[in-house]
Amino acid sequence: MTDGIKVADVGEIDEGEAISVSRDVAGTDDDIAILRDDDGEFYALDDTCTHEEASLADGWISDGEVECPLHAGKFCLKTGAVLSMPATRDTKTHKVEVRDGCVWLFPGEPAAS
Amino acid sequence: MESTTPTAAAAAAETTESLSAPGLRKAGDPTRGSIKRPTELAPNIDVSGLVDSESGLLDRAIFTDEQIYRQELRRVFAPSWLFLAHEDQFKKPGSFFTTYMGEDPVIVTKDKSKTIRAYLNSCRHRGARVCRADFGDTKNFTCTYHGWSYDLEGKLVSVPNKAGYPDSFDTKDWGLVEVAQVQSYRGLVFGTWNPEAPPLAEALGQMAWYMDAMLDKDPEGTVVVGGIHKWELEGNWKLAAEQFATDWYHVNMSHASALMVMSPTGKGPKDEIVHRTGRQYVDPNGHGAGFPVHPKNRFDAQTVHQYYDYDVLRERLGDARVEGPLTNGHATVFPNFSYLPVNGSIRVWHPKGPDRMEVWAWTVLDKSMPPEVREAQRLYNLRTFGPSGIFEQDDGENWSEVQAISRGFVTNGVPLNYQMGMGSEIDDGRHAGQTSELYSDAAGRSFYSKWRDLMTTPAWHEDTE
Repeated sequence: MTDGIKVADVGEIDEGEAISVSRDVAGTDDDIAILRDDDGEFYALDDTCTHEEASLADGWISDGEVECPLHAGKFCLKTGAVLSMPATRDTKTHKVEVRDGCVWLFPGEPAAS
Repeated sequence: MESTTPTAAAAAAETTESLSAPGLRKAGDPTRGSIKRPTELAPNIDVSGLVDSESGLLDRAIFTDEQIYRQELRRVFAPSWLFLAHEDQFKKPGSFFTTYMGEDPVIVTKDKSKTIRAYLNSCRHRGARVCRADFGDTKNFTCTYHGWSYDLEGKLVSVPNKAGYPDSFDTKDWGLVEVAQVQSYRGLVFGTWNPEAPPLAEALGQMAWYMDAMLDKDPEGTVVVGGIHKWELEGNWKLAAEQFATDWYHVNMSHASALMVMSPTGKGPKDEIVHRTGRQYVDPNGHGAGFPVHPKNRFDAQTVHQYYDYDVLRERLGDARVEGPLTNGHATVFPNFSYLPVNGSIRVWHPKGPDRMEVWAWTVLDKSMPPEVREAQRLYNLRTFGPSGIFEQDDGENWSEVQAISRGFVTNGVPLNYQMGMGSEIDDGRHAGQTSELYSDAAGRSFYSKWRDLMTTPAWHEDTE
């Protein structure tokens, strides 16, 4: 298990918005999307859609789901489970913590389900 | 004159296609291969015998013939500057609005560098529209058929099962077809497929002096208020465009009931208001504008009238414009964009075949107007020139009436009269360019002369070899 990485101040990511953390920084196979739901909660998923080459950090986030900006495949923010065609494979979650007004990412460590 | 939105097509040439003509292909273009259209598919009719500007006569076939209509799409709409949208509709990158240029569906959007650009709304794969919404905000345009996806710069960024295509397939070749030039004039965004078209400001010429009477009252510019109304009518698009260019003549007859209702007494306007004199601007490029001239011309909606300080407007725009085209009047920018200064209605007459049009109407008002004045003007516009407006109804009835009977064999062969105000155009020393009388067909004759000239001249996309 890795130590957490500070990826942003809470105020830097609006509700319904996301950022992408480079794999070089995260030390993972894929970039990681830090996604903030419209209720203010933070989640992290592998950034690349499991369907085609697309960044989920560019997607539409609301109501516990992220919709891929290209082909409208959907994933559960909490579990990474695929929720809609044309995507058919689940994606990976990563643990995120909010501490002292900052967002901490634990790359490779699955979110508690 | 100003041109606020730079042309993006040149900068994007590497990633998006500019329109190359049917039948005209660049050597080695992988998107065309050996595709070559036979010229018989697009036969050109010599229409010079259908428009007699010198005698002021018009053959009705120009309103009814399918072949002439298809030639119009190629030679009038494709080469001309066409109104697309108002800049106010694009607040941020990804804001988009879908409309038509002639019958071609286009997406107008703001790219990541905040440049307004326009693309043919048709997937390069099987041709479906890649944007099916009227307006909104997006990050990509994805075809709902097979999922080809394009970014805000028109680049093809995703092809499902790309591995199935040959090595020669390069997504760089298959971006959205981009409108060759997009430019703005005082917030109004125009586009043309014609890479060789002169700049918008040049195409508008002195018409801009009249447009400024509506668009430059407020140093802050204009904004769009409320939604865009769209309705369909029986009637060739030129019937509407022509009327807005050249026709105050119909007002007291066609709109008699509306004018009676609107008058303060309910018994009709005073004789001196009905018999106002005025001028009609006649533009050599087919634009036209007519307006009564009177020192006390005013905006009709009381709240709007009280809002304006006419002395300030006189200082800003000059007496001639305040006493003329500022308030009551009509105007057309060739070919199919028209407006009414009195209520801020701007509209496009979209062609939908020789006998049908769609009217798309925006309400455009001064940015500095307080909310209650905007609302008063919006309601006044709805009441008069909204889709069910008491004036708009009269106009639509006339155009549909003319169209409905014009396919009769004998009817169609009887020329129409456009002779009012023959030879009356002068430099009146007060208004820009050449003007005729308020009641005149002069701008109409110029409108149809321009139409005839375009229809008889091969457009840039035609293979003239």
